[in-house]
Amino acid sequence: MKTQNNTVVSFFNYVTSHHKVILFISAALIICSALFIPKMTKDTSYDAFLPKDDPILTFRNKTKEVFGLKDPMVIAIVNENGVFNTKTLKLVQELSDALKTVKGIDPDQITSLYTENNIVGTEDGLEVNPFYEIDELSNDKAKDVKHAINDFELYQGSLVSKDHTTTLILAEMLDTYDKKQHEVYKSLIKLLDTYQPNNSKLYLAGEGAVSGYLIKYIDEDAMKTNPFAAVVISIILIFAYRRLRGVVIPNIMVLASVGIALGTMAAFGVDFYVITNGLPVVLIAIAVADGIHILGEYYEATSMHPEFSQKELVMHTMVNMWRPIVITSITTIAGFLAVSASSYMPPMTYFGLFGALGVFAALVYAVFFIPSALMLVKPQTSKAYKSDQKVDRFGKIMEFVGVLVIKYPRVILAVAFLIILFGINGASKLEINEDRITNFQSDESIVKADAIINSKTDGTSYLDIYVETPENEDIFKPNNLQKIQDLQYYAETLPHVKGSISIVDFLKKMNQSLHENNPEYYKVPENKDLIAQYFLLYSASGDPTDFDNYVDYDYRLANIRLRMDTGKYEFEKPVVDAINSYLGNNFNSDTIKATTTGKVTVDAYWINRLGFNHFLGAGLALLVVLLVSALSFRSFSAGLLTIIPVSISVLFIYTVMGLLNIWLAVGTSMFAAIAIGIGVDFAVHTVDRLKFLLNDQGLPVKQAYSEFYKSAGRALLFNFLALALGFSVLMTSSVPPLSKFGFLVAVAVSVSFIGSMTLLPAIVLVSKPKFFNINK
Amino acid sequence: MKTYKIISVTVLMLILSTTTNAQNLPLGQHIAEKTHERNEGISMKRKLTMALKDKRGKVRIRETISLRKYYGKEKRLAIFYETPRSVQGTAFLTYDYPNASVDDDQWLYMPALRKTRRISAANRGDYFLGTDLTYEDIKLETRISLDDYNYKTLGKEIIKGQACFIVEGTPKTKEIAKELGYGKVKFWIDAKIWMLRKAESWDVAQNHLKTIEITDVKQVQGIWTYHKIFVKNHKTGHETIFLNSDIDYQTNISDDTFTKEALVNGL
Repeated sequence: MKTQNNTVVSFFNYVTSHHKVILFISAALIICSALFIPKMTKDTSYDAFLPKDDPILTFRNKTKEVFGLKDPMVIAIVNENGVFNTKTLKLVQELSDALKTVKGIDPDQITSLYTENNIVGTEDGLEVNPFYEIDELSNDKAKDVKHAINDFELYQGSLVSKDHTTTLILAEMLDTYDKKQHEVYKSLIKLLDTYQPNNSKLYLAGEGAVSGYLIKYIDEDAMKTNPFAAVVISIILIFAYRRLRGVVIPNIMVLASVGIALGTMAAFGVDFYVITNGLPVVLIAIAVADGIHILGEYYEATSMHPEFSQKELVMHTMVNMWRPIVITSITTIAGFLAVSASSYMPPMTYFGLFGALGVFAALVYAVFFIPSALMLVKPQTSKAYKSDQKVDRFGKIMEFVGVLVIKYPRVILAVAFLIILFGINGASKLEINEDRITNFQSDESIVKADAIINSKTDGTSYLDIYVETPENEDIFKPNNLQKIQDLQYYAETLPHVKGSISIVDFLKKMNQSLHENNPEYYKVPENKDLIAQYFLLYSASGDPTDFDNYVDYDYRLANIRLRMDTGKYEFEKPVVDAINSYLGNNFNSDTIKATTTGKVTVDAYWINRLGFNHFLGAGLALLVVLLVSALSFRSFSAGLLTIIPVSISVLFIYTVMGLLNIWLAVGTSMFAAIAIGIGVDFAVHTVDRLKFLLNDQGLPVKQAYSEFYKSAGRALLFNFLALALGFSVLMTSSVPPLSKFGFLVAVAVSVSFIGSMTLLPAIVLVSKPKFFNINK
Repeated sequence: MKTYKIISVTVLMLILSTTTNAQNLPLGQHIAEKTHERNEGISMKRKLTMALKDKRGKVRIRETISLRKYYGKEKRLAIFYETPRSVQGTAFLTYDYPNASVDDDQWLYMPALRKTRRISAANRGDYFLGTDLTYEDIKLETRISLDDYNYKTLGKEIIKGQACFIVEGTPKTKEIAKELGYGKVKFWIDAKIWMLRKAESWDVAQNHLKTIEITDVKQVQGIWTYHKIFVKNHKTGHETIFLNSDIDYQTNISDDTFTKEALVNGL
């Protein structure tokens, strides 16, 4: 022990002797990292939730590539009196043409009533013509368009709502605008603003728009929450020390932690995701804690030892504080790394990884920068710490808590037991769910647009089914087409599947058109050659790329696109499961094979992993925290004791989530591991200090507890306030998953703090573990 | 010796300077007229192979026998499909009328349906049977339009060893541009035989649209004849190669071949 102490003393001797160099390096490091931050790119797409080499994702990208599929911007024109009138149809044309000039929009990939072709049977042939031309638009022509749509099942619900009040314009983005969807979104909003039709309303949604608006949305949110968190933390620091350096030094720690974490992210080209937005606020709240504890010790020492020189003061502070600071940082890092290790989804993996880096940066600055900074300024006392052993209001509050604990330890134990029971019940009922649109507040216009489009039309959530056959032109085989048709019929019986489109729908329409529009011929032709000849006929007057989305150039692969009117996991998952089992039982054979893909399938796949990842992360965090504290206290029972408050805090949250109907989703699923890593700090400090007072100093219980509460208890109170209020700042975030995450961690941290201040000392009192040597 | 060299170089430079001088270049409209004066024979029979390639590199090959006959300025064209097997026996017939305001007539015979179907009058800018050429391109083949463009002769350039005039055309009206699908065209016309050798086109928004290259030009039975057309659509990445072989201008093709009835019977 003595040699270890000597090492520590000589280490801090070294640090305090080279404080100017250290300060210089500290400043340079922050500036260098921060320089990378502007390079950061944002990825808000749903693809971001899977690693780039994930088989489900690569298969989906292959499907997109083969059939030229994109996640479009969807514009809805809603006219309650119906869209088949000259004014609305003219608006469709104007918007379709205007969209072609919008930067980032692919001018050849705009789909609307104005751009699509009608297939009509004539007396002796087949015509493929646009639904209307703008120079021949009249009231009669508008009626013709209405009849054409009534005759064209394919476009009912997908292009025009079944009640005829809504029509859609779909615009695809160029690949080069992959992470710049927000620029396209902005231009579209601007474009739509110039159109103010008096009898209809315009809405913008769709996956492309959601990604685009999210980028803008999280930017604005970050501009609001980050400064707010810094202000809240500063106010707490003013109350704690009532000194300028007590505010400035922890704030520099925050800069270092956040700057290095985000700067490294940008330097390594890691994308900024929606949940990454929560990282700065989280780091602000955590990084400040080390500063609070060190400065607490510093001011206590200045009041107790006014005779200390500047160097003696700093040495005394650091030698006393390095141990709890290192242990608590390691446990917090463990929490973050548990999130990283347990999660398969890159946004969470990186949240954990760079969160851990931020905490590590804070630890390094606590050990090097704080003593160096304190060497630069003269010793100073704080009004909050008086030399004559008097305690301030905050200390008194904590002392009173100590009195209660000594009086009613068994009541505290009973309450804890109840929380455990409720928590286990809550955990078993957790609802795993996610919906990308819930990243926005419910009054955002994109949420309204999404709801209107989903209720009026077949919806904007796509489930694609990739169909494969062995030979070229095998798709033409009537057997295969029949199978595709049956699959579509089955899929459309599933809840929330509103419509489906495949090459079969076009073929049926062609067949009918070539038989004098006789509805009896709205069916799959029975001759393979005839089907090939239909396509040749179509190419005589249609565009050669018309069927690209549905069949490949060799007629060997086909795509069936199902449309769902919801993006909620709880509805998507059963549909994917049902289709997969249908494919296994009724579809796949040696001659034809199908695989589900598309946004809905990708969603169902990764969200499914959330629950498992959550419990794995929480378990991992608990295990690591237990190991770290057991090792550092060299006692397994002391380690076990430290994880009791955090375990209870997590169980408590499960009850809260059940009561408030909060989903276990992307943001919220991370709460447990992080709450464990952070919350355990209170227990670590408590066990460390109680052991020191009871065992090392051999004080009687009452006196030891009183000492503990008014000094360590007081510092922990401010530590807790900084954390809880910091996370509460996240609650003001306009990104609901982040505000829920902030809320859950804030509550969990509160429970951990209360548990460490009440339950932990109560257990020590009742069970008298050997580690504390309480009977001496 | 030296003086001879100097004189010959000077003479050569004089000749070059006069031919490249814009004032001495023929007018674009004159060049267009020249392309229409070329002898194309009255009737022609050939083996026409169309190779279509999409941007992912997948290829569709269609082998046909193609017949063509001029009736004054009216052009009749019949295409009989031989492969792929699924469209064997399918036949396409079109009557191109010289007057642009009269819609052309088109029919397709589908053996699997045992019926001939009339195809709606195609817009001049519509794509021809899934290829990258439009109906108008097919109609003109190696000639250039007399009525649609305002021409400007830009200069001369050697294309595949042949001196060509470069002519830039801008559609006379917006309507024409929209109908044709071209906002600007650039033609390279062989200065000796007045045949189109190369063309570049831009869409109405001035995006680079297509490159057309006409090659393997040889005399067949005394008539200058191309054997290959390569078309690349820069916007879609799609490509088409037309290959002509077994060209015959001399066999007289009966008028009955260009009827709906003849489509059914095939060749």
